[in-house]
Amino acid sequence: MNLELSDEQLALRDAVRRFLTERAPVAGHVRALLDDPVGTTDGVWHGLAALGATGLLVPERHGGAGMGMVEAGVVLEELGRALDPGPWSSSAVAAPRALRAVEGGDVAKLLAGIADGSVVATVALPVTDLSVAGGDEATLEGTIAEVPDAAAAQVLLLPVAEAACAALFAVETSAPGVTVTPLRRVDGSRKQARVTLVGAPAERLGSLSAAAVEALFDDVLVARGADALGAAQAVLELAVAYAKARVQFGQPIGAFQAVQHLCVDMLETVELARGGVLHALWAADHADAATRHLAATELKAFAGHLAHVGDMAIQVFGGIGYTWEHDAQLYLKRLLSWSAFLGSPDRYLVETGRLLVRSQTR
Amino acid sequence: MVDFSLPPETERFRSELRDWLATNLTGDVVAAHRRIADDEGFEVVRQWNRRMADARWVAISWPEEYGGRGATVLEQLVYVEETVRARSPLPVNVIGLNNIAPAIMRYGTEEQKRTLLPRMMRADDVWCQGMSEPEAGSDLASLRTRATADGDEFVISGQKTWTSLGHRADYCQLFVRTDPGAPKHKGISCLVVDMRLPGIEARPLPTLNGETHFAEVFFDDVRVPATALLGPLNGGWGVATTTLSHERANAARLYVEQQVRLRELVAELVAGGGGVEDPVALQRLGELAVRADLLEVLCKRSVSADLHGGDPFASASLAKTVWGELGQDVAAFAFDTFGLDADDGRWAELRLSARSLTIAGGTTQVNKNITAQRVLGLPRP
Repeated sequence: MNLELSDEQLALRDAVRRFLTERAPVAGHVRALLDDPVGTTDGVWHGLAALGATGLLVPERHGGAGMGMVEAGVVLEELGRALDPGPWSSSAVAAPRALRAVEGGDVAKLLAGIADGSVVATVALPVTDLSVAGGDEATLEGTIAEVPDAAAAQVLLLPVAEAACAALFAVETSAPGVTVTPLRRVDGSRKQARVTLVGAPAERLGSLSAAAVEALFDDVLVARGADALGAAQAVLELAVAYAKARVQFGQPIGAFQAVQHLCVDMLETVELARGGVLHALWAADHADAATRHLAATELKAFAGHLAHVGDMAIQVFGGIGYTWEHDAQLYLKRLLSWSAFLGSPDRYLVETGRLLVRSQTR
Repeated sequence: MVDFSLPPETERFRSELRDWLATNLTGDVVAAHRRIADDEGFEVVRQWNRRMADARWVAISWPEEYGGRGATVLEQLVYVEETVRARSPLPVNVIGLNNIAPAIMRYGTEEQKRTLLPRMMRADDVWCQGMSEPEAGSDLASLRTRATADGDEFVISGQKTWTSLGHRADYCQLFVRTDPGAPKHKGISCLVVDMRLPGIEARPLPTLNGETHFAEVFFDDVRVPATALLGPLNGGWGVATTTLSHERANAARLYVEQQVRLRELVAELVAGGGGVEDPVALQRLGELAVRADLLEVLCKRSVSADLHGGDPFASASLAKTVWGELGQDVAAFAFDTFGLDADDGRWAELRLSARSLTIAGGTTQVNKNITAQRVLGLPRP
């Protein structure tokens, strides 16, 4: 048992942090892209590719780094800390994890494109009920209410329900019959879009088993949880720094126990989430399916608490934290979009309760 | 490199212990755990303690020369998990084994180590620790019980309170003020006191649920030999904080206890057949399970940091806060669910006794002050 990051993982963290601090700061990059449907620039995206980050999870034989979810989590935490509005979690995590789960089908070219950053891909979840006509060279019909990062993507990976469980289709966003409508959501640093397909040409990549769909769903949850952890850690640090610097009644407000306890409550929540993220990331690659699924479900079930870190931080900042100008609001919104992602925490709390009861009745 | 799994030799150790517990631990011993405040229940637990000690399943972290196994940190973690899951009662002298013995090993004479430690382990002697006083609770270093040197003796006067097992103890590790003129942390000494000496009176201190686990202990000109001193004169604060260099996986108790309690609760919920369908109950259960499982990782991170050269303090101090609040929420859920219905009043009793979880061993509020200042670097008020 060793729960410390390795030197290589720490070096990865430092490299990504340095890059994002220099090239994608909140003031100059994130705020400029709040209303932009794509959420990244060529410079930043290719910079991430040059760091090897876009191909982190792509197997080495397809031009990637062949790393695992723990390393992906290291990058995700940095992206969350930087409030990065780009499609990394979709293209570099969800897509390669979906593609590795496909039985049959040639996905080498797509993986190579993802690895070198020339292709941005995203995955729709949960499994869609699009209607399919034709065989391997099919057409798809229907609407998907929300797909993350669809406006940035060249390729949509769409799991479609079928008798055995699901099939994974690839659709190019530039193809005829594909309409991507950006959606405005509370969190401008997260891009969502509605996708409408009318006789859209699609390539059937292969089938997905029920187990594979569940694992993919868990991976996507855990990835977004790692991102949220980074945002929560960042806003905690900002609030604590402010509590040390802001003087009222002749002393730093951080000397008041009421403020200290707010800060400790934030720290407690962040550290609980950090453990949950670490365990779920490890479990995604190394644990049995039941352990992995419980870890991912519990992490998402804790999302409401983690979002509350943003609330507590604004309470520490007081009035300045309630302004548009201050970054605290951006972190709160990032955390709220994690809380709302793929269903409310309440649903996952009930599911966790159900898993506990089931474990005692077996 | 992040790895939550345990090495095979540690898992073998787990199997060995689990098998031993399955063979030896009986239902009446498990049941006695809830009657430990009664003389009869106490004796059952003491006999169980001896049986474990004779099989070397007590104080496994101690060096072999004192009867331990020199167990690794991961073995200690597994030991806590297995004994709690099997509902094995804690050794009688749990405070002595964890907190007093390390000080005896470090500061005691060879004679003290040879005679006191094995008897402590077998619960042949019962030990208490005299720390808290009526005017020294959270602010422990302000203690006032005084020991004055008189020839080759100390004369002790004062009062201790919240002394676990004070009314049953044979020995007390007593913290006293030996230099009233020194700053408060620097005038304290530690004495090993025979509780049968004249001038000592231990009055049982029943707690809010009517049970007696603690005593108030009064010292009225009690004379002990100068050799009772453990550690340097006026160096008692250092003795009190002697790091638990042996017991390094005790944090595991925090999560396992809550997980076991939660599973007992669920088992009772489903005992009538069927499952739990009420979404409100499921959501509350889910909330508790999430926090218990996240607490598990927090505790393990503390153990891992200790093992791999990190700083275990932040995780450990947060874990204690989480444990106390979670334990109370588990108890509240149990009481809300079963109310006064349970035949033996067990859940109502838990609801009451859980009050202590945010008080004993340092209140949650003081713990948060310490975390704020030591971990976050916020200024002292």
